Amino acid sequence: MSAGRTVLSNNVSKDRVVSKFEQAYHADATPYQKMNFHPKVKSACSENRTGTVGLKISKAVIVGDVSVGKTCFVNRFCHDVFDRDYKATIGVDFEVEKFSILSTNFTFQIWDTAGQERFKCIAASYYRGANVVIVAFDLTEEDSLNNVDRWMEDASENASEPIKFLIGNKRDLLSDAAYEDIESRAVDAANRLGAEYWAVSAKTGENVREFFFRAVSLTFDSQMLKELESTRTVSSKQIGNDLISLQKQNTNLYEAQKKKKLKCCDTS
Amino acid sequence: MEEDHIERAPADENMAISPTILPWDKFSNWLHCACVVTFDLELGQAMELIYPGHIKLTEKEKMNICYLSFPDSNSGCMGNTQFHFRIRQCPGRKPIVRSHHQYNRDCPVSLQSENAYYYGFVYFRQTKDRTIRRGYFQKSLVLVSKLPFVALFNQVVSIIAPEYFDNGEPSLEAACHDIDQWPTPIPGDTLNLPMMGSVLQVKIPCRPTVSDKISSVRSASKNGSQSLHTIPAHTILPSLFEVDIYSSFQSILPHIQLLWELVLIGEPIAVMAASPTVTSNTVQALVNLIAPLKYCSDFRPYFTIHDSEFKEYTTKVQAPPPIILGVTNPFFAKTLQHWPHIIRIGEMNGGASSPKPLNKLKKASSLKTLDSKPGVYTRYKSYLAKDKTILKRLLKGVQIKRPVEAQNAILRRHFLELTQSFMIPLERYIASLMPLQRNISPHKGPPRLRPFDPDEFLKTIEHSGPQLTPVAKGDWEGLYRRFFRSPNFEGWYHEKQREANQKLQALHMEALCCANLQDWIVGKEEVEIVDLILRIREKLSFAAAHQIVVGKESLLKLQNHMDGIVSSLPEDLQSVLKT
Repeated sequence: MSAGRTVLSNNVSKDRVVSKFEQAYHADATPYQKMNFHPKVKSACSENRTGTVGLKISKAVIVGDVSVGKTCFVNRFCHDVFDRDYKATIGVDFEVEKFSILSTNFTFQIWDTAGQERFKCIAASYYRGANVVIVAFDLTEEDSLNNVDRWMEDASENASEPIKFLIGNKRDLLSDAAYEDIESRAVDAANRLGAEYWAVSAKTGENVREFFFRAVSLTFDSQMLKELESTRTVSSKQIGNDLISLQKQNTNLYEAQKKKKLKCCDTS
Repeated sequence: MEEDHIERAPADENMAISPTILPWDKFSNWLHCACVVTFDLELGQAMELIYPGHIKLTEKEKMNICYLSFPDSNSGCMGNTQFHFRIRQCPGRKPIVRSHHQYNRDCPVSLQSENAYYYGFVYFRQTKDRTIRRGYFQKSLVLVSKLPFVALFNQVVSIIAPEYFDNGEPSLEAACHDIDQWPTPIPGDTLNLPMMGSVLQVKIPCRPTVSDKISSVRSASKNGSQSLHTIPAHTILPSLFEVDIYSSFQSILPHIQLLWELVLIGEPIAVMAASPTVTSNTVQALVNLIAPLKYCSDFRPYFTIHDSEFKEYTTKVQAPPPIILGVTNPFFAKTLQHWPHIIRIGEMNGGASSPKPLNKLKKASSLKTLDSKPGVYTRYKSYLAKDKTILKRLLKGVQIKRPVEAQNAILRRHFLELTQSFMIPLERYIASLMPLQRNISPHKGPPRLRPFDPDEFLKTIEHSGPQLTPVAKGDWEGLYRRFFRSPNFEGWYHEKQREANQKLQALHMEALCCANLQDWIVGKEEVEIVDLILRIREKLSFAAAHQIVVGKESLLKLQNHMDGIVSSLPEDLQSVLKT
């Protein structure tokens, strides 16, 4: 996507290839005890049976208080840049990253939301259907950690069993001793939220890449598993999951047409 | 892992956030602005908000948007109503968005960005609300754009408006910000457009000539920007611009070919119905009937008595203008009484009970009020015989309950074929007007397309016209003669001329680049040489301004010739030429 990257023939850049399961940052602060891809997922990928598993796509939302560094965190990963004076996000920013996981193409959408109170009212529509919820706070601002419960609650309410993360940003601003103080509180919070905890620095890039690899590994594994199991039970051919729909023309123009819903594989 | 970090290219300054892209630049590739129009008990329709805030609309534009954003008949329209309109842009505006130049060159002519018009895509909500005086909430959200992407923007406004009505300004702000992240519309591309938490996938159509070029470029560089466009999306829009033509014409199906003729030859047509949703769809369906040909006159999917062109368009002093109007106000039954062709569409009761299509045409004068029966009111005698097979097929479809989408596809295909049968002889004739390649000489000016001669053309169709194909029988010659007098012909011919002359310019440039000019100037007068230099310079700047596609190598060659010629001149002259 960016100019400086080597792009492989299947349109995924070289540094987006995931071949091993990224481990949790803190073994005591994660509900996800998986150490590797599920054997079923592995064999489906290696035997190239994933073609029948629908569109491999995951939606992530990142939420948290104003200026905890959500956009910087995303930009560090997506563009490998850091800009201290990055403007406040209006509403929501949108990024797409393409991965190759176990040689299977996988798309990761990142919806980077605004922390301002005034955008709260619209958030629900952006959270809808999220597979991954990332709540970010500022390791140097205690207050931002106090609000994480509310953020997690709001974002998860509109998602369906999302994979949850708690991210402490700006690790570079703290000494190791100061960090240890806040870490125990953050770990408590993560366990309370049922989320996996990570400490990162958008500025130095510390743990940013590892975090995103962890996130896509987890979401890829759980989505693939879910779909592999559902395709086994449902014999009828089905493309995609219910995230994808083909838009019918003028759906609300004529009442009578509503009854004849278009199946998503019809392209007329 | 570590190796990867080392390998990674350092952050490029203009990689992530290009400094040349200003906020709202990308937004304006798609929309001019979004407006909120409210019904003020004291003032009537009033503009409540224009977003983004720096966008300026003239008073006249604002007034037109205000009136056209509300239904103007007394038929109620409770709940949510969607429709679209088209207004004239006030003169003196920057004519076109920068990125639309390239878009307009490569997109199908009928989808070009409008130069002098805006489309407005309306979502109107009227609900009971006891907290408001008079007990009603009445508000419209309108998206204003120069692009005729009717299906896309109807979809987009139906996502944004309910959010806005529920949550207020931040949702509009966020939605516009989403649009400000949309990629540039490039013909041939499949784009993913983020919108309020989901992604719309659309394909931007391109001209047939362009699609060949693109596919060859694409296959040559497989790993280029293409990676951007293959991402699966949440919602796939089957088309940017197509409307449901079948439902629009369902009650008047037997006359649909007659309507095609009327649209083709640019006759004035009024569409009367009870709601702006029906008129805007029907008018758009009429205009789309002659695709891929562009409908070149004005058309107003929804038109009210408050429109600034009301007087101009309804005057009885002159013959009705060659336009298509969609109206709902009963007042128009009288105002447009003198119009030659009126389509009256009844209530949409859906395909369930399949209303009996009306077979008889009615005399225009028998239309007295808007309560008249649905049908086509005209004295027009069609040139072509009615195609009964397509009607039978569609009626069969009603019986077997074929989905509306399939009926639409059949209808669309039928008219595409009909229009193509009509246009192919014209295209062929135009091709014969091109000068021969060997007549292109670097030492003469570029040749031009020979002028169109209707009689000469009509002679060619005697042995190769559409009457010989199985499409439709009838007086094709008569139809062509009427077409030649229409704005649609004018627009088409103008475009063909432009394309041909541009191609000739490019060929001429190539010839010039390859000519051995240094030999040519031997023994020539100084004045002739200077003249040559000036002419080449003019051509180079013309080529740059009109984006004539000439190979870089050829241009370099020409530049070298120029330098060579200049250096052969006396020094004093050289310095003059260099300035």
